[in-house]
Amino acid sequence: MPKLPFTKEKLPSQSVHPQTNTSNFKDQRISLLILLRIDLDFGNSAMHRVGSAGNTSNSVRARKEKRLTYVLTDADDTKVQHCAGVNSLALRKSSAPDNCSYLFTGSRDGRLKRWEVSENSATCSATFESHVDWVNDAVLVGENTLVSCSSDTTVKTWDCFSDGTCTGTFRQHTDYVTCLASAERNGNIVASGGLGGEVFIWDLEGALAPLTKSNEGDDDCSNGINGSFPVTSLRTISSSNSISSHTNQPQGYVPVVAKGHKESVYALAMNDSGTLLVSGGTEKAVRVWDSRTGSKTMKLRGHTDNVRALLLDSTGRFCLSGSSDSMIRLWDLGQQRCVHSYAVHMDSVWALASTPSFSHVYSGGRDLSLYLTDLATRESILLCTREHPIQKLALHDDGIWVATTDSSVHRWPIEDQNPQQVFQRGGSFLAGNLSFSRARASLEGSTPVPVYREPTLTVEGIPGIVQHEILNNRRHVLTKDNGGSVKLWEITKGVVIQDYGKVSFEKKKEELFEMVSIPAWFTVDSRLGSLSVHLDTPQCFSAEMYAIDLNITEKAEDDKINLARETLKGLLAHWLAKKKVKYGSQPLANGEVTSVRDRDISVITEGSQGGQWRRKITELDGVEDEEFPWWVLDCVLHNRLPPRENTKCSFYLQPYEGSALQILTQGKLSAPRILRIHKVVNYVVEKMVVEKPLDSLINDAGGQLPLPFVGDGSFKSMGLKPWQKLKPSVEILCNNQVLNPEMSLATVRTYIWKKTEDLPLHTHTQGRYIYIYILS
Amino acid sequence: MGAAGSKLEKALGDQFPEGERYFGLENFGNTCYCNSVLQALYFCVPFREQLLEYYSSNKSFADAEENLLTCLADLFTQITSQKKKTGVIAPKRFVQRLKKQNEIFRSYMHQDAHEFLNYLLNELVDILEKESRAAKSDPESCSSSEQIPNGIKTSHMNGHVREPLITWVHKNFQGILTNETRCLRCETVTARDETFLDLSLDIEQNTSITSCLKNFSSTETLNAEDKFFCDKCCSLQEAQKRMKIKKPPQILVIHLKRFKYIEQLGRYKKLSYRVVFPLELKLSNTVEDTDAEYSLFAVVVHVGSGPNHGHYVSLVKSHNHWLFFDDENVEMIDESAVQTFFGSAQEYSSNTDHGYILFYERVDVGNTS
Repeated sequence: MPKLPFTKEKLPSQSVHPQTNTSNFKDQRISLLILLRIDLDFGNSAMHRVGSAGNTSNSVRARKEKRLTYVLTDADDTKVQHCAGVNSLALRKSSAPDNCSYLFTGSRDGRLKRWEVSENSATCSATFESHVDWVNDAVLVGENTLVSCSSDTTVKTWDCFSDGTCTGTFRQHTDYVTCLASAERNGNIVASGGLGGEVFIWDLEGALAPLTKSNEGDDDCSNGINGSFPVTSLRTISSSNSISSHTNQPQGYVPVVAKGHKESVYALAMNDSGTLLVSGGTEKAVRVWDSRTGSKTMKLRGHTDNVRALLLDSTGRFCLSGSSDSMIRLWDLGQQRCVHSYAVHMDSVWALASTPSFSHVYSGGRDLSLYLTDLATRESILLCTREHPIQKLALHDDGIWVATTDSSVHRWPIEDQNPQQVFQRGGSFLAGNLSFSRARASLEGSTPVPVYREPTLTVEGIPGIVQHEILNNRRHVLTKDNGGSVKLWEITKGVVIQDYGKVSFEKKKEELFEMVSIPAWFTVDSRLGSLSVHLDTPQCFSAEMYAIDLNITEKAEDDKINLARETLKGLLAHWLAKKKVKYGSQPLANGEVTSVRDRDISVITEGSQGGQWRRKITELDGVEDEEFPWWVLDCVLHNRLPPRENTKCSFYLQPYEGSALQILTQGKLSAPRILRIHKVVNYVVEKMVVEKPLDSLINDAGGQLPLPFVGDGSFKSMGLKPWQKLKPSVEILCNNQVLNPEMSLATVRTYIWKKTEDLPLHTHTQGRYIYIYILS
Repeated sequence: MGAAGSKLEKALGDQFPEGERYFGLENFGNTCYCNSVLQALYFCVPFREQLLEYYSSNKSFADAEENLLTCLADLFTQITSQKKKTGVIAPKRFVQRLKKQNEIFRSYMHQDAHEFLNYLLNELVDILEKESRAAKSDPESCSSSEQIPNGIKTSHMNGHVREPLITWVHKNFQGILTNETRCLRCETVTARDETFLDLSLDIEQNTSITSCLKNFSSTETLNAEDKFFCDKCCSLQEAQKRMKIKKPPQILVIHLKRFKYIEQLGRYKKLSYRVVFPLELKLSNTVEDTDAEYSLFAVVVHVGSGPNHGHYVSLVKSHNHWLFFDDENVEMIDESAVQTFFGSAQEYSSNTDHGYILFYERVDVGNTS
């Protein structure tokens, strides 16, 4: 049986077109008119619903089914480098003779890293990956606990000297957690603050206590979890171990709530003993709390904009605040008043660090500059200026670590023992006490010259993606990174297929424009500095392609491949393989191609117990059945796809108006939306041959119709040459335009048919019509 | 009516301004919303002069179709060309045209004066734009626009994308607001401009226009479920949004939102709040550092306790005299009487005459562009 590209359906109307004279083949151009009816409406609106307008991070509530996200990076380097701005720094100085210090960085890429820092090098020795959104802050607590907070609304604890072991996840916050504070001499207490005015004070011993015992035998990742372990308690596990174990709130433990913040909190600080907590935020005030009870002790007003950075001296008597009003203020908590205000910066102050004696303060902010100010004499000096706003500072002996919105972190020299020395280099000024722009401008006409030009050490990062565009073929995404490089990604494989270097993103986008129409089966965002590709059921299964177009050679060329299924199978190939080994079963009957490379790709999804998790695809251990959404398992394990909207497209084929050709078929035809026009051509040719005497056709076409072409409509079974090798002698038109044989029906519908919308002929019926003219 | 006229003439005596006419407007049954606004517009001198000038310089009007612009110009011409200094005129053609054109105003129901003003100004703009386009495309062939296939910039037919044409109506009334959004994470400010012909202000008890304007420009935070997608952060972040006046208009029309929908009642309620409107106003919520200064020249007053009934009158300042227009009647009032229209600090007050639409004219001429 010849394989027809489309099937005949029962017809709604018998004859819409005038009777044509079948014997009149004298014209050079014989035409057919094809009437195409589209039952589906244009641009399936359901497919654009999810994830549009960038609302991808916090839309859990709006979604019915759990989403699967995979995060792509263009390098294996994320094992050793950040690929987005660094929001947080924490330092553990060497106590042992090895003289090696540890720097912990938390990045917008969702990861934390531990760096072994020596005099002139820093090497990444661990990556802490579990957060699914920006890491906003990180602090070290006690001997070996790293605490981090994220825009994913969680606070996580990690074994800071481990290989990346997450020891706990606290889900008390309901909005982004923006800041943390710890106490120098109390290794148990951590405070977290976030948007919506939420401030919690955690007793880590209490929060983590019930679990430390149960984790002892759990260090072997391969026999860790089998899906039935208790998830009610939290325990220490290795990072390659179960995901569920840290998705749950420790039960029975409730943190102290510092209640009464009316607006979002952007900064916290605690004194050494952990008895006093200060918070700042969009209220513009600095609030002081008793961290043991969570009760308010005072509210200090003075700043005129968001309070972004706070410091407390070891006794808890003095407090320093940095604000978006560009001011630094020194508060005497004993007197409950502001004792000094320093106009040093030209723009918002985002980061502060003080010398142990609280005599000097280092400050950085939106003006890209790092200043040192003597709190007593008000003398101030510009230490350095770079290209990115400063987000965090950490003092480290004779250096200061500076984190910016860029993915690299720099260490700058400081006069550790005697900060006063740097003022002797000249260029210092007296900080005004009025809002800066006026105070300082009158003080000196020009911008000061920074003391230091180059950092002493740089921890390099990878430029993060800052712009992206999904191309029409719905497989390629064009991106631009922080360094200006433009790249083209193939997202079904998760790889960069073209690196254009530093070219215009907009121009490249125009250059790559293709007139094709494929349903929007995924959405992307770049908030992690990488491409996050989001799949939601059922719309992710709406796109199909022919095997030949995907260069899948082991399949029949017109086999339809579902893009999401191929992608999922590729993504989870590793997991499936492990699963196979583990259970000795064959989860998949067919040998699907692994389309996603074993790259640095992470998956993010929501587990059965609630709570999102993130893990590298190569580290999935084959037992996470319950942690994947049911539709993902259905697809990769059972090859079942959810019911989708009709992927077919119905149309009529009619001879060109006034042409002499006989009507090929009067019924409505139906074909996949991805069907190429050349298949329609084949069908027409075959029909002509079958229904007409062959010689008349050849004669009338002036002998132009070669014999092999006749059989081409059924080339599959007859093993004849593929269509491409023949010169097309049948043309199909729609809206008076000759259609490119490479176009799909969906493309015709989107780009050619669209223009005929205004024709009154089409508006009176419910369906839409396309006229396709065939010329031979 | 003659008596009223002569009374006003007597009151003004030899101070009656040269060439000025003070005429009442006849009420055709609940058309006071229209009369009060027409008086305010008539005594908006730059508007009146430009309308008459445009009208006289476009002779083709004679054969042109009647529209609200021609009707309004006719009415104003009729008033200015009266031999008598005072009296009553029936704005019959104008009201008929208005009712013909918009069914909202067709019934004899009580209408909203602000809605009418807004409709009228937008209608005038539309007519002027249409005429200007017709004038432009006349020399060329009419079909030129149709020959451009899928023209995006010249899609006259849809009217969606139009070249912004600045008509004299715009020059008088149009200002530009800028909507500034600042991401609270990276603190990048994105600004978007929009034009306005009048400002609608929310009001509170015992306030002033200045504080209402301050509230109008107050900061709104986009947070929780309503975060802002920051292009710089590539993510959703909290943001602060506020409206500022980028270009203060020549004539500032302020509409006080005295009619508020009360959910519990399921209907609109009139707010009789006391809102002080100064005779001289400084606009400080502008983008530029300099304040724009304005002087009050007309007030449309709503009389009555409810939104669906009541009466409209107008107070007009002409040649340093304050006049009170109540349909057919025109009286002179003292400047100090203006403050009796501020509203009442008590909820139930016998005084139900409240300033509703305020017309200010810019006075700091040096700053105008």
